[in-house]
Amino acid sequence: MLNAERAPVTGKRVQLMATCLCDAFYDDVAAATVEVLEHLGVEVIFPEGQTCCGQPAFNGGDWVASRKVVRHTVKTFAGDEPVVVPSGSCAAMMFHGAVLEFENESDLPEVEALGRRTWELGDFIVNGLGVKTWPGKFAATVALHRACHTRGTGSIAAANLLLKSIVGVQVVEFGEVEQCCGFGGTFSVAFPNISTAMGALKLDHLRAAKPDILVSPDMSCMMHLTGLAAKEGQPIKAMHLAQVLRDALKAQ
Amino acid sequence: MTAPDDRESILSRVRGALAPLHERAPLPDYSTEIAVMRSLVAGRDLVELLGERMKRVNGLALTEVAALVAHLRAGGWLHGYCDPVLWPRLAPHFGAELKVETEFDRTRVDDYAFGITRAAGAIAESGTLILHDATTSRRLAALTPWVHVAVVERAQIFSDLPQAVAALGRDPNVIWCTGPSKTADVEGILIEGVHGPGQQIALVLG
Amino acid sequence: MRFQQFDQFAAELKADTRAAVYDGSKKGHEKRTKLLFDEYPDPNRLRHLAGEIKQHVIENLDTYLPAVEAKMKANGVQVHWAGTAEAANEAVLRIMRARGATKLVKAKTMVSEETELAAFLEKHGIEALETDLGEFIVQIDGDHPSHIVKPIIHKNRREIAQSFEREGLGAYNDDPATITQRARKFLRHKYLVADVGLTGANFVSAESGRMVLVTNEGNSRFCLAATKCHIAMIGIEKIVPRDYDLALFLNLLARSATAQELTVYTEFISGPKSPVQPDGPEVMHVIFVDNGRTEVLASTCREILRCIRCGACLNVCPVYRQASGHAYRSVYPGPVGAVLSPLLMGDKFPQKADLPKASSLCGACNEVCPVNIPIPDLLLRLRNRAKEENVPSPGTPPMGAWALLASQPLAWRASLLGGKLIDYVPTKLIPVPALQAWAAKRALPAWRGGEFRKWLKARRK
Repeated sequence: MLNAERAPVTGKRVQLMATCLCDAFYDDVAAATVEVLEHLGVEVIFPEGQTCCGQPAFNGGDWVASRKVVRHTVKTFAGDEPVVVPSGSCAAMMFHGAVLEFENESDLPEVEALGRRTWELGDFIVNGLGVKTWPGKFAATVALHRACHTRGTGSIAAANLLLKSIVGVQVVEFGEVEQCCGFGGTFSVAFPNISTAMGALKLDHLRAAKPDILVSPDMSCMMHLTGLAAKEGQPIKAMHLAQVLRDALKAQ
Repeated sequence: MTAPDDRESILSRVRGALAPLHERAPLPDYSTEIAVMRSLVAGRDLVELLGERMKRVNGLALTEVAALVAHLRAGGWLHGYCDPVLWPRLAPHFGAELKVETEFDRTRVDDYAFGITRAAGAIAESGTLILHDATTSRRLAALTPWVHVAVVERAQIFSDLPQAVAALGRDPNVIWCTGPSKTADVEGILIEGVHGPGQQIALVLG
Repeated sequence: MRFQQFDQFAAELKADTRAAVYDGSKKGHEKRTKLLFDEYPDPNRLRHLAGEIKQHVIENLDTYLPAVEAKMKANGVQVHWAGTAEAANEAVLRIMRARGATKLVKAKTMVSEETELAAFLEKHGIEALETDLGEFIVQIDGDHPSHIVKPIIHKNRREIAQSFEREGLGAYNDDPATITQRARKFLRHKYLVADVGLTGANFVSAESGRMVLVTNEGNSRFCLAATKCHIAMIGIEKIVPRDYDLALFLNLLARSATAQELTVYTEFISGPKSPVQPDGPEVMHVIFVDNGRTEVLASTCREILRCIRCGACLNVCPVYRQASGHAYRSVYPGPVGAVLSPLLMGDKFPQKADLPKASSLCGACNEVCPVNIPIPDLLLRLRNRAKEENVPSPGTPPMGAWALLASQPLAWRASLLGGKLIDYVPTKLIPVPALQAWAAKRALPAWRGGEFRKWLKARRK
């Protein structure tokens, strides 16, 4: 389903798309992304004018509003460096969602071009840069959440590969891994009962596997699951993939 | 009998809907081999494989008439129907205990505990029996009794689905039967013998 | 309306109904997946291929439909065309009246559910009996199916036993085997006195005009063994190009629908019975039904016409599992229904424009679809259509102001700093009810607006 074809990576300079969730809540995930990329010898450019990928309006059906934001994003991320995003859903928005909503627009080629150079972080490290192992140490049992927007991409395999290569990390499987956490953006607002029930089910499966940490390649699922768990009075510890990679480096 | 305008208006709407397409999706070129469970089928004796695969769907393959007779006796299925063409071949093995009619009376469907008809073939890969209008003496006789026995000639067993599709032929009605009639409508629990037979048996001869 | 009706329905669902739907669909999905991946090195290739074949068909219906018609006529089939549900029902009635027929037995066909054929015929004095066990139970209960292949997934055995008792089919007994035997005993004599057997078709081969019908129970075979007249109601999208393609589709359908390698009865019908065969229809009618399909074909969602009605997308769907099929208020529930049902409404699209929103867009449906329909993309297109047609949608925040903010970097950065307020607003005071419900169940992380940019600036110095 996804237009997941990527232009091969040449050079060691990328633009960072930090995402609105990092801008507002998860500053440490963006910081970890910078540190991880710099560790790999990659120069990170942060286009200051960036805002959001346009996904909320796209999913909500307001494509006029969404296209306005995407056009801003296309302008902001001009150039030909790869664009790296610590979020599977924002990456998918760029290489799939935006392409869909620009189908009949004259600036479709520009949108497609940005899509072809946009990468989710783990996918970029493994499939873009060809890095297959991760140094350092991180002593924890982790469960890797399959963020839905990574379906059909290399992201989950990449995250698994990196996590399993870290000394001290033990990856545990849990039930119904392919099922959604129930977030779905505006879905969780308009369908709060179903969304909550889906999240509770995911939490049940996760807790049964008894990981120390839930690792996610996407902040939105993480926000949903930790938010639900906290309100239940049984908080779970969650980290973004970038944070685990960064912390592993620190323990080198 | 048809209101003629519906045909034209539907086709015209179809043409109108497709007109804006710059190109039409092509028919992909492929081999049905990709839909065959080749590792299962390759190099196997087809009678043996048919038996295995039928067992998997709770069917039963027998190779001797005596075994069939014993099975019917053991199950208490003592009254049934047999295709008149088959009967001379089978009769010597059927004792007096079993009552067999060679005329099927649809007003007495509940009287027949078993029905023996000819199959036009079988598919080993799926454990399937193939019935044709031309060779199955009565559609009802193969459907309404609790036990259906289809007599298959050894040489008529296809290895896989694509082979059997290629051999569909000109009979206006071909039906593949893969195990007994079944349902899981009530709480997902498998129950056999819904409208058709609760036992599907292949008698492989020749 | 504060909330989506769909979400309310799910919230009010009886616990045992939800459990039945959840367990049934989860089991179905798991068995399907195991079977496909155990038997084929690359089952995804099969799905993609089947999708390409069906896409080819729907984009060439203008040539395939007349071709099929010609083949069928040459095979001795009488072909009719019905633009609407009413026309399709009328066609059945006309055929029956012309024969002086008063009793019809029908196999499970989704298109006849669309047209509400059984109710229509009953109104015109014709006995129209559902013979699929699940559909029969739905019929005696005056209920609606809630799943495409498991119509009574929402019912338990106790409810069914009560219905049987009420209908005089025997004293209360909730053993599924007993229930099935009672239906067998009752229905077999109904088939034998019926005048007409009505079925749908799972596939129609354009090359041969052969239609293919699959059932597990054998009820469609019984319809075609006991009656003298066969009427098949067929959606115009049911075509496959050649007999050759059937092996692929039959393999995929059985595995996707019921996790079987092959459905028990697979019937290939190219015309009335053979003259040498005593049982079966002497006359065969096919009614090709549009009922909104040409409008779907003209839309940007035409891929949904690839659907082979297997129900795999329902089984995997986390929303379907929570809400059950009746939440969709349509013949087609689940992800496929969320696309198809509003489209089939035609001008009345707004009445079901909420269905495409009842999805977290997780994409699991696309991953299991045997014809690889990009369901999430189609849901998104329909959300966009709903917005363009200004259909009100509870719980969907307006995006105009947000888009303005997100395309002006200075304003964006200012709001990152101002967003801190969110930490101090108590849940009860959130002005949007749906957001309130959201926040009642989920803690938001602490606001850290602008912190990353600050950090990066300091690091770069």
